[in-house]
Amino acid sequence: MKRLRILPLLLLLVAVTYNVNAQDEPSLKISGEFLSDERFLLKDKNDWAWNENRLSLKLEKKITDNSKFYSDVWLRNIGLPKLSASSDLYNKNIVNPYNLEIREMYVELYGFLFKNLDLKIGRQRIVWGTADRLNPTDNLNPLDMEDILDFGRRRGSDAFNFNYYLNNDFSVQGVFVPFFQPANLPVGIFANALNPSMDLPQGLVLKGFSDTLLTPKYNLGESATAGFKFKGMVKSVDFSLSYLWGYDGLPFVTRNTITPVDFFGGVNIKSQLSFARTHIIGADMATSIAGIGFWAEAAAYIPENDMVMTTDLSALYPLSPVPVTHDSVLLQKAKPYTKFIVGGDYNFKDGSYLNFQYMHGFVHERGNENLNDYFFLRYEKKFFDEKLKIAPIGGAFIVTNWGKIDSNYALVYMPEIAYKATDNAEITISTVIFAGKGDNLFASMNDYNMFMFKLKYNF
Amino acid sequence: MKQKIQTAIFTMLIVAGSLFSVTAQDASTILKNMDDVMYSPKDLTGVNKIILIDKNGKQESREATVQQKGNDMRMLRFTAPASQAGIAVLSLPNDVMYLYLPAFGKERRISTSVKSQNFAGTDFSYDDMEAKPYTNKYTPKLLKTDATGFVLELTPKGQSDYSKLVVTINKANFYPEAMDYYDKGNNKVKEAKYIFKKVGNYWNAEEIEMTDLKKNHKTKMQMSDVKYDTGLSNDEFTVRKLKQ
Repeated sequence: MKRLRILPLLLLLVAVTYNVNAQDEPSLKISGEFLSDERFLLKDKNDWAWNENRLSLKLEKKITDNSKFYSDVWLRNIGLPKLSASSDLYNKNIVNPYNLEIREMYVELYGFLFKNLDLKIGRQRIVWGTADRLNPTDNLNPLDMEDILDFGRRRGSDAFNFNYYLNNDFSVQGVFVPFFQPANLPVGIFANALNPSMDLPQGLVLKGFSDTLLTPKYNLGESATAGFKFKGMVKSVDFSLSYLWGYDGLPFVTRNTITPVDFFGGVNIKSQLSFARTHIIGADMATSIAGIGFWAEAAAYIPENDMVMTTDLSALYPLSPVPVTHDSVLLQKAKPYTKFIVGGDYNFKDGSYLNFQYMHGFVHERGNENLNDYFFLRYEKKFFDEKLKIAPIGGAFIVTNWGKIDSNYALVYMPEIAYKATDNAEITISTVIFAGKGDNLFASMNDYNMFMFKLKYNF
Repeated sequence: MKQKIQTAIFTMLIVAGSLFSVTAQDASTILKNMDDVMYSPKDLTGVNKIILIDKNGKQESREATVQQKGNDMRMLRFTAPASQAGIAVLSLPNDVMYLYLPAFGKERRISTSVKSQNFAGTDFSYDDMEAKPYTNKYTPKLLKTDATGFVLELTPKGQSDYSKLVVTINKANFYPEAMDYYDKGNNKVKEAKYIFKKVGNYWNAEEIEMTDLKKNHKTKMQMSDVKYDTGLSNDEFTVRKLKQ
């Protein structure tokens, strides 16, 4: 709680201190976006899959010529009422679910202490990587997986972000995030999408499940994240090298305790989850060759300690003189794993646009043997003075086992039509079709083919 | 007799060659004079209002602030409409271009293939908006001279979407008054009309009206609050500034 009080105070202090010699800059810019996002399933009775009405309110204030304040707050009505008893009708949060979220709120100081040093303090999104939306090196902010179809979305982190510009082509960045913020998981119909499947020994039936989440202690040594990046451009090629010492924001199951509850094989499982301290070494590049935009990005993930999942079966063998446990190694510090992505785009003379990416390792995949291959493709063309945009090809093809590809693949097809009704209002309709076989995230979603409608209005 | 004919032909060839040389040189000089008028300021800042007019006469407008230094450094930042406010494009030497989209919070390198595309829904391609001297990109040929102007045909020296441009240049002040763009099939596809006004020591293209003849769509680019030679430094044309 103290932490929450200190940060706005610190922001205010910095803003006021920096404002001492400020010229009067009364202009507070208010802008924002209204988004209505409605989705329903294509099968059966067309269950509603998503309901979100979001007001994104942005405030921007130039404090001095060398500093500014910025904030982005989401006020949302999200989800559908989950009513189970008449008492729920007295609770407006259940009848009309809504939430308020500070996405970003920071003060940025240009030329702080030194002419070439910029400092940004507060809640902020720090985007690393050159790839399109899916960036293996982008790990400073926690994953925001609330809407699993909004690939690459992350929340802001409360951070100190220093950028020192060596010259116009090279810069060094240092970031310090004082405390750990985990990823938030999907909600709604995708709530269980990332839950691992559990293989029980033969004859056992799961009757109950509970878990405990072990989080790092909120002190600088245990909870902090730090990152450094060197960025530059040589011969029209942009590149960067980065290092990050932080946590994997998605927890690992590190202990399962299995307890019998009846004489027919029924068991309860109590799991313990914890977060892995990880070193991440990254590199990326982007350039344009013969009109084609190219980018590549890779990150090597090195766990600080081995991550082991211990399954405790002792309660099933009460007569055993020693604890009956089984260990599975999830990650080894001696065996780093590398995620990477390469891609390109091209603008055709007729105004159409093609974007393609190949990625090894999706955001939730960890460990060399669990990284799958993803091929993304999108083709779009604009019509009627660019008011209508049609993307007939869009989606991904995923392979989880090249040796048995016919039973280990997934296809995600996302065609889209967007119409600019006015300068500031855009209506988008699209569908998502999932198909596939095997044990992978997207193949398991083939019951969730859906139609989506979005209205976006900027002001 | 034979010798006389040979001498006559030789003389004619020399005269024709000289005439051609004079014409070519004149065309080059005229084009260079136009470049000098258009690109002599060391730097420029201003506000660009872009009015899009469709075939039914319906108008939409955009606004952007512009900073330019030399021929190959430009920062353009949209301020209106709200859906585009904050989007910025940085152009640097060697066809390096970055796009900043506030929604993504990072700069993005743009592939050079975008140069053949229309800029932000206008009838100008990124290529049309380049501030590179025409003498670098085109070979001129004088088509016509009249009391008020010169008409030059410009043939691209390198790769281009156009087979030629035909430009009418003001005789007194050497600024372009009109420019016609021809596609590879030699069809006129676009035409631009210029209104120049003197700001300080320089001629400013106060309004450029570009018409896409295929789409019957027009774009007016109006420059206001223009300031020349304010001493913009190279630091204004960096990714650091793009993100501010």
